[in-house]
Amino acid sequence: MGTESLLVLFFAGLFFAGAALIVSALIHPTSKNPQKKEPYECGIQTIGTSKIQFKIGYYLFALIFLLFDVELIFLYPWAVAIKDFGVIAFIEMFIFLVILLLGLVYAWKKGALKWV
Amino acid sequence: MLVLLRYEFILVALIVIFLLAWLIPGKSEDRSLSLFWINVLLFINFLFGFIPVEEGVLFNNMFYTNEAIGVQKMLLNFGALIISLQAYDWLKSNRNAFEFYLLLISTLLGMFFMISARNLLMLYVGLEMATLPLAALAAFETDSKRSAESGIKLILNSVLSSAIFLFGLALLYGETGSLHFSDMAGKLTGNPDGYRDTTLSLLLVFTGFGFKISIVPFHLWTADVYEGAPVSITSYLSVISKSSVVFVFISFLYIALKNMAPLWIPFLMVTSVLTMTLGNIFALRQQNMKRFLAFSSIAQAGYILIGILGASALGMSSVIFFVLIYIFSNLGAFGVVSVISAQTGKENLDDYKGMYHTNPMLSLLLLLSMFSLAGVPPTAGFFGKLFMLMAAAGKGYYILILIAALNMIISLYYYLRIIKSMFMDKSESPIAYFRSSIYSRIALVICFAGIILTGFFSGIFDYFYSISFGI
Amino acid sequence: MKAILFYIFSVLILACGIFTVTSRKIYRAAIFLLLTVVSVAALYFLMEYTFLGVVQLVIYAGGIVVLILFAVLLTHDSGSLLPPLGVKRTVATFALTGTGLTVFLYTILGRKVEPGSGEFNEPSVKMIGGQLLDLYNFGFVLPFEAISILLLAAMVGCIVLAMKFSKTMN
Repeated sequence: MGTESLLVLFFAGLFFAGAALIVSALIHPTSKNPQKKEPYECGIQTIGTSKIQFKIGYYLFALIFLLFDVELIFLYPWAVAIKDFGVIAFIEMFIFLVILLLGLVYAWKKGALKWV
Repeated sequence: MLVLLRYEFILVALIVIFLLAWLIPGKSEDRSLSLFWINVLLFINFLFGFIPVEEGVLFNNMFYTNEAIGVQKMLLNFGALIISLQAYDWLKSNRNAFEFYLLLISTLLGMFFMISARNLLMLYVGLEMATLPLAALAAFETDSKRSAESGIKLILNSVLSSAIFLFGLALLYGETGSLHFSDMAGKLTGNPDGYRDTTLSLLLVFTGFGFKISIVPFHLWTADVYEGAPVSITSYLSVISKSSVVFVFISFLYIALKNMAPLWIPFLMVTSVLTMTLGNIFALRQQNMKRFLAFSSIAQAGYILIGILGASALGMSSVIFFVLIYIFSNLGAFGVVSVISAQTGKENLDDYKGMYHTNPMLSLLLLLSMFSLAGVPPTAGFFGKLFMLMAAAGKGYYILILIAALNMIISLYYYLRIIKSMFMDKSESPIAYFRSSIYSRIALVICFAGIILTGFFSGIFDYFYSISFGI
Repeated sequence: MKAILFYIFSVLILACGIFTVTSRKIYRAAIFLLLTVVSVAALYFLMEYTFLGVVQLVIYAGGIVVLILFAVLLTHDSGSLLPPLGVKRTVATFALTGTGLTVFLYTILGRKVEPGSGEFNEPSVKMIGGQLLDLYNFGFVLPFEAISILLLAAMVGCIVLAMKFSKTMN
C-alpha cells in the first residue's frame, strides 16, 4: 500500500464527512425553538445538565479493559510468529496469560466486575 | 539455566501462592494466622539467599547474576522481611493485607530484575515494576486523605521521572546503537565527537535515577510522600526502594559508563554536597517524625553518593555494607515510629517527650538507631560511613570528605534533639506503656542486634569487598 | 507525496496539541488529545511502522484517552471552565519550555548526522513476534514475562484503590 492511497483516503474521508455536514447545513429547514435543543422533543422533561459525576465503578471497567488491551497487543505478534517457534512460543504465552488470568479472577472475586 | 533466576522464581511463586490462597475460599477467617504464614514464607525466601549464587548470564545479557548481585538481593529480601514483621500491628486490622503483600512482592521482583539487568530495556521494565505498585501502596491507608495525596504525589513524580529517564535512555540508545551495558561501554568512550549529546542524555538518565534515590535537587517529593504514606511503606521507600536503585546506579556507572567517569564524577560531587547539606538543613526544622526521617534519609543518600564516587571495589563494597547498616538503623528507627503510630497514632516529635520513663526499651532502640544514623563510633553506622569516606579518600577527594564530616556534625545536632526529648524532656502526657506484638518485637530485636554487632564483625565487610568490583 | 502528508499530519499534531493545553474546557482538551494521538499514529503509518501505529491506535486512542475521559467524568464539576492562566504562569511556562527547546535543539543540531547505509527494513509484525518469543538470539522473553507481573500488580493496585473509594462513597 503506497502513500498515495493514504492521501486519497485522507481527502476522501475529509470530503465525505465535510460534505455531509455542509450540504445538510445548506438545505435543512430552520425552525428556531427551545424545544429543538432538548434530547427528546416529547416525553419527560430533562433535569440538570448532561455533565454529571460518574460512579468510580465504571472507571474500574475502563482500567481492566486497558490492561487487557495491552495484553492483546502482545497477542498479535505472537499469533503471527508462533508458527516458527512451535511449543516454546505456546508455553511462553501460556505463562503470560495465566498470570493475567489470575488477575482477572482476582478482580471477579473481589467484586470489581459487578455492575451497579 | 533457571537456577540463576531462582530469586525471581521464588518471588513469582510467592505471588501465585498468595493469589491462589486468597482465591480458594478458606473456612476460617483468622487473619493473624495467614499473616503468620506469609511471614514464614518471606523468611524462607530470605533463607534461600544463603545458597551460594553462581555467576551467569541469561537471555543474551538480558539478565546477569553473580555473588554480589545475590548479596544485594538478599539484603533487599531481608529488609522486606523486617518491614513485613513491623507492619504486622498495622495489617492485622486491615482488610487488604493480602493485596499489600502482593504489591510489595511485585515491587521486590521489579527491583531484582532491575539489579540483574545488563540491558536498558530490562532496567526500565524493572524500574517501572518497582515503582508503580508503590504508588498504590502509598495510598493504601483507608479513609486517609493524606495517604491518597501521598499516593498521587508519588505516582505523578515517578511517572515524570520515568519519562525523563526513558527519554535519556532513548537518546543513549540512539548514540550507541545498543541496549546492552557492555556494548555501550565500548561506544561511550568520552571522545569529544558527540560529547554534547552524550552529556544531555546522561543528564536525563541521572535525573531519573536521582528522583528515585531522592537526591537534591530531585528530592522535592520525598517529604510529602513519606509523611502521608503508611509508616511501613515510608520505611520501604526510604530503605529498600532507595537501596535497590543505588545498586543499579552503581552497576550502570561502573559498567556502562566506565569510560565516562570524567563526566559523571563532577555531577555526583555537586549533587552529593547539595544532598547532604540541604537534607541536613531541612531535617533541622522538622516536627513530624516521618518528615524528619525523610530528610535524614535524603542526607544519607548524599553520603552514599560519596561512596559511589570511590569508583573502586572499596567504593562498591562500602556502599553495600552501608546499605546493610542502613537497613538495621533506619528500619530500627522506623520500627519504633511504626509501633508507636500503630498503638497511639502519634507521629510528632513533641509526643515523644519523656518516653524513656514509660517505654525504656523502645527509647533505647531509637537512641541506638539515631546514633547509628549519625555515625557515632561504637555503633555500626560509624563503620559504614568510615568505609565510604575511605573509599573517597582513595581517590583523593579530601574537600568532599571535609564537607561530609561537617555535615555529620550538623546531623548530630538533630539526631540528639530527638534523644534529648525522649530522655530529658518532661511531658504532661507521655506515651503510655504498651507491649507491641511479638512480630514487631522480633523485628526490633533484629535491628538492635544488627546495629550493635555489624560493626564488629570485620568478616562481613571483607566478604563484600571480595565480591565487589570497581572501574 | 509523502512530504505533503507528513506536513498535513505534523500541522494536525501541533495544532491539536496546542488546543489540548490551551482549551479551558476539559472535555475538549481530551478530544483534542485524542486527535493528536491519532495524528501521531498516522505519522507512524506514513513511516511504515505499521505495528507501532496499531499500538498507538489501540492503546492510546482506544484505551488511554478513553480512560482520561472517564477520569474527567469522575470529577465533581467537569462541565465548568478551568480558570484562565495568569500572566505569571504563562511567562513561566514559556520560559521553561523555551529553555528546554533551546537545549534540545542545540544538542540535536550539534550532532554530526551521517547518512544511513543500506536499505531501511520495515520491521514486520512477524519479526517483532520473533524477537518477542526468541529464547536465544537477542529475544525479549524475559521482559515480556516480567510485564505480565507488572500488569497483574497494576490491576490489583487499581482495584484496591478504586474499591476503597467506591466503598467510602456509598
